[in-house]
Amino acid sequence: MPTISAAPRIETHLELHLRPSLFIPELKSKKKASVLEEMVSHLAQQRIARQADAVLEVLRQREALGSTGLGKGIAVPHARSTMVTERAVLLARSTKGVEFEAIDGNPVHLCFLIVAPPVDRDPIYLQMLAEIVKAVRLAPIRKKILEASDFASIRSVIGAQFS
Amino acid sequence: MNEKLQALVALQDLDLMIREAKDPEQATREEELGFSLGGVDKLQRTRDKLAKQIDEQLLQRYERMSRRFTRVVVPIEGRVCLGCFMGLPTANRRNIDPGTVELCENCGRILYRL
Repeated sequence: MPTISAAPRIETHLELHLRPSLFIPELKSKKKASVLEEMVSHLAQQRIARQADAVLEVLRQREALGSTGLGKGIAVPHARSTMVTERAVLLARSTKGVEFEAIDGNPVHLCFLIVAPPVDRDPIYLQMLAEIVKAVRLAPIRKKILEASDFASIRSVIGAQFS
Repeated sequence: MNEKLQALVALQDLDLMIREAKDPEQATREEELGFSLGGVDKLQRTRDKLAKQIDEQLLQRYERMSRRFTRVVVPIEGRVCLGCFMGLPTANRRNIDPGTVELCENCGRILYRL
């Protein structure tokens, strides 16, 4: 009798955007302003930010709109910028935690930076925000991401939240 | 990129952010996810301050065109405007005065070179 195998799961937009080249295992910076600088500098090295200053400025303005420190050690700074070449997610970790003016006042350990070029309608951008929030809602998952020894493990932990 | 263009790019990015923060559907979704969007007035003030630093003629053009297009300041790649995707016959000029601002001959958008 033929066996019916389950269809492979379709990866989420978040998983499709997670790349080893867009991962900072341990942030050097300790404060929000310098964390954003460090992350944008990484995006510039990866040629995702055409002009680091312009991208940094738009992220600063987004923080002025309201802190993207969601609490529970998570921050999701995000913005669209004319000076971004493609939609991207940069994940950075900080074991000690960084001061990010999060809503609960606690330090941030996982920072998912989303950038995208400005387009008329981009539902994927908002969808990725929702996927990040869903992926890290549980404390044991956040711990696993923080303690993972390599990027592949992190990707696998995140992927498991959607299977 | 010259200073005029840098200021325009910053203005365009701010305008997009303000527009999204004021868009009821988008704002609701972001707030449901836990993001705060309380500082729109602050952003608007920053925007107004920035606009004052931009050459008046250029600003008027930008304001006029932003009623038609989401993105007024767009890149030019090769000889193609990435706003309207039309080829520009005179876009291959190499010695452009760095202080000037190029416009798309087809759609009128403000161009910057990649």
